[in-house]
Amino acid sequence: MLIIAENSIQLIFTAVCTVMCAYYMLITKKHEWVLLGLASFVYFLGDLYMQLFMIFYGDEPFYSYIPWVGYYACYLFFLLLIFEIRDTRPLKNSIRTLWFIPVFTFGMCVFFMNWGDYISNIVAAILMWLVFWADIDGLISIHKDTGENHANRNIYIIILIFCLLEYTIWTISCFSKEYTILNPYFLCEVLLSVSFLLLPSALRKAVEA
Amino acid sequence: MTYVENIFICLAAPLIIAALCTRGRARRVITFIIIGMAASLVSSYISSFIAAVQGATLDAASLEISPFVEEIIKLVPILFYLIVIRPEHSDAAESCMMSAIGFATYENVCFLLQRGVGNLMFLLIRGFGTGTMHVVCASLVSLGLLRVWKSEWLRFAGTVALLSAAITYHGVFNILVSQTGAPAYVGYFIPSFTALVSLIIRTRHE
Repeated sequence: MLIIAENSIQLIFTAVCTVMCAYYMLITKKHEWVLLGLASFVYFLGDLYMQLFMIFYGDEPFYSYIPWVGYYACYLFFLLLIFEIRDTRPLKNSIRTLWFIPVFTFGMCVFFMNWGDYISNIVAAILMWLVFWADIDGLISIHKDTGENHANRNIYIIILIFCLLEYTIWTISCFSKEYTILNPYFLCEVLLSVSFLLLPSALRKAVEA
Repeated sequence: MTYVENIFICLAAPLIIAALCTRGRARRVITFIIIGMAASLVSSYISSFIAAVQGATLDAASLEISPFVEEIIKLVPILFYLIVIRPEHSDAAESCMMSAIGFATYENVCFLLQRGVGNLMFLLIRGFGTGTMHVVCASLVSLGLLRVWKSEWLRFAGTVALLSAAITYHGVFNILVSQTGAPAYVGYFIPSFTALVSLIIRTRHE
């Protein structure tokens, strides 16, 4: 019951984000709103599939990755959004800090493989690597003042928090299967939902600058 | 037991003749309808194979395996057309749509033969629902294929992301229409609603 309630909150927040993006897209006709709208819409679809499956069949899908495909598509749209808002300079690979990202994502991938299947964990690790890399590269560029738009800072931070929350949720779900309100899993899920509400205002700032 | 190959031959035969007798745009449209039907046939084979390997029931296969397989198989001929023939954008978008219509038509005919043709109202709703769903999914994917991204790899990423969106959308549709009563009717009306909203957004955007 609690998991359905938490999923419902996420459905509402992602739907609100999608509607807001559609509204701004109609007003501004900017490509960035299409990408953020698709990111939240596809996350909404993944949640909706999971929710409907749990309501009608009382369990998570067993044979397929359909909801996870939705979530992974969301990460891809975040990556495309970062490439849309950042300046045209190529991604750096000379900063040593950035090489900790694949170490982290693949380290966590190996850890999660103890509980989950191999393919989805590898796909998630690659996508998260790319999103983290592009996102942190943008943040470092703002900090070093290399011409990156300072108005992008908020959207970079929110996407970074979103990704870190995803990792926190995956890690907690490995250890705790208790469906109680005291489980930090639910708090992280709610925070993840809230991040979808913060994204439109951050993108608006970035687009208007 | 439904002999899907026989249905395909019966449906495709007049279209093949028509394709041979026509030229230009008409031939391309008819060819892509046949390709869509063939993609539907192939995806039913692959879905059945994966379901048998994984030991899934028919219901589980239609909910969890079919959306995945159908959307990927539907994309393959379009990808081939885009990469090898390199058509104009408007031709490619139209071909993508025709392929989806062929796919939905063949699927509807198979459904009719399996479940009977007694309830006209239900068949009308199902016909429009499934048809619109395949067109909506094809439009989503063609948006990724034809949209001008900054670079090739961004176009690839965009297409994969939109294909994933189409798979999830298809999955949600299949779950709803597999139920009875209100959830099924909601499921059948979702694609029409999506098509209407996207039409309004497109009109306003242009």
